[in-house]
Amino acid sequence: MNAGFPTHVEFAGPGSGTAPLTWGQRAIWEAIERTAPDDHYFNFGRLLKVPGGRTAGEIVEALAALIERHGALRTRLGEPGRSGAEPYQRLEEKGRLPVTVAVGDPDRVLGELAARRFDYAGEWPMRVALVLDGDRVTHVVLVFCHLAADGLGAEAAVRDLRMLLLRGGRGGDRLRWPDASQPIDLARWQAGPEGRKAARAAAAYWESEYRRIPPTMFSAPSDARAAARPPIWRALLHSPALESAVRSIAHTHAASTSTVLLTAVAALVGRFTGHETCAMLPIAANRFRRDTANIVATMSQEGLFTLDLGGGGASSFTDLLRSAGPAALRAYRSAYHDPADRNRITALVGSERGMPIHPYCCFNDMRFADPGPAACDPGEITAALARTSVSWPMSQDKLNCRFCVHLTTEGVSLTADTRYLPRPDIERFLLELESLLVETAVR
Amino acid sequence: MIKKRLAELVAESSEGAVTAQEALTAAVPLSALGITSIARLRLIDAIESEFGVEFDLTEEGMELLDDLDRLAGHLASR
Repeated sequence: MNAGFPTHVEFAGPGSGTAPLTWGQRAIWEAIERTAPDDHYFNFGRLLKVPGGRTAGEIVEALAALIERHGALRTRLGEPGRSGAEPYQRLEEKGRLPVTVAVGDPDRVLGELAARRFDYAGEWPMRVALVLDGDRVTHVVLVFCHLAADGLGAEAAVRDLRMLLLRGGRGGDRLRWPDASQPIDLARWQAGPEGRKAARAAAAYWESEYRRIPPTMFSAPSDARAAARPPIWRALLHSPALESAVRSIAHTHAASTSTVLLTAVAALVGRFTGHETCAMLPIAANRFRRDTANIVATMSQEGLFTLDLGGGGASSFTDLLRSAGPAALRAYRSAYHDPADRNRITALVGSERGMPIHPYCCFNDMRFADPGPAACDPGEITAALARTSVSWPMSQDKLNCRFCVHLTTEGVSLTADTRYLPRPDIERFLLELESLLVETAVR
Repeated sequence: MIKKRLAELVAESSEGAVTAQEALTAAVPLSALGITSIARLRLIDAIESEFGVEFDLTEEGMELLDDLDRLAGHLASR
């Protein structure tokens, strides 16, 4: 059946060289190292429905043009020569990327391709499968190593691939697009005077906040018998009521839906832990500069969001929301930082305070299509509560965090270390989040 | 003059979600026009680069960003 289908994408340049890791690469690399051997956790993929009737040969040609355009897809981790040396990135001009040919459900193919951890120094950072229906290729499956791209970087790659397929082959003269920004150049900018200036401003913020936040948000190990096997579990709340409530609150208070959810999660973390100040690490896109808006690279990093909750639940949610807007902007700006500075500050302030400082509490809005603020009828919000469900889609042994909230189009999920937040509390957290938002929206 | 340039930056930062004309004539704060956090950060970055100022990311600083007349006055007086 697969006879005559291409087995590789051959690509050729331009450009090669080595550079330090970008801030985004360094941040995800540290997370990968702390999560190994379960680091396939960071792999993710995209499906592209092949537009028009393109042959496998045409698709492979478009893939070659994509890889040639974006240096990130030709960049691997350089292996440090001696132990303890800094990892670095190595861009190569030429190579051959294996292509898998598969049949069946494209989502299943994607899942299989993403299930194995990457060989970061040896393997190209994107895996490709062509999904067939008979002789026809219906979908291209792309699985990304998180060192090469984040969600928005992958979107940029898929957009370009689709354009290449629509225009045919390598695009040729018909595809006069501006040169793409390259991670290796970004690494050099970050190490230069402008990059260092931005890094110093961010570092000053991390340092001052690290002196005042609780050392960690979930500090008390729960009863050992409450821990589950394996220890890391994810619960997913599917709640149309929550979604409408968030849109409605955002509309009433001229806030983004992301800020409404971030604030609600922070308020509840305070309720569950007793801390009067909540410190969370929202993952920010870091694509606010013109040259990085559409780069295929990992730009997203953790920022530091701190919110004073007004002890004893004194502040109403709408009061919190007012101060959360600027606090979120400070957090997003602090996300564009050099992880080496952050490590230095973590060690420095930790030794001053005599305890390790790390929130271990993160928030990742992964929605690409934010439904946006909108007025919603309170009666409909309440009625939608009947359609709420909770499922447990994932569990594993290791994770570099204790408490991770993800927003996706499927709903709000909480992945937590059950040694700090047992399974029943994971579920209770999500349901109380829903109640807080619904009650605020219909008040 | 400054206000007109600021309105252009608003349009660019929001990728057209708010047009320069809307930003110029808005009778409500910019945030009420549905500017997202990323657009706001882009705008702050663009203004800082172009005018050589540094924004204070506090409630007061954000109120300034919400009102192009006040912001233009502030930038002109520097």
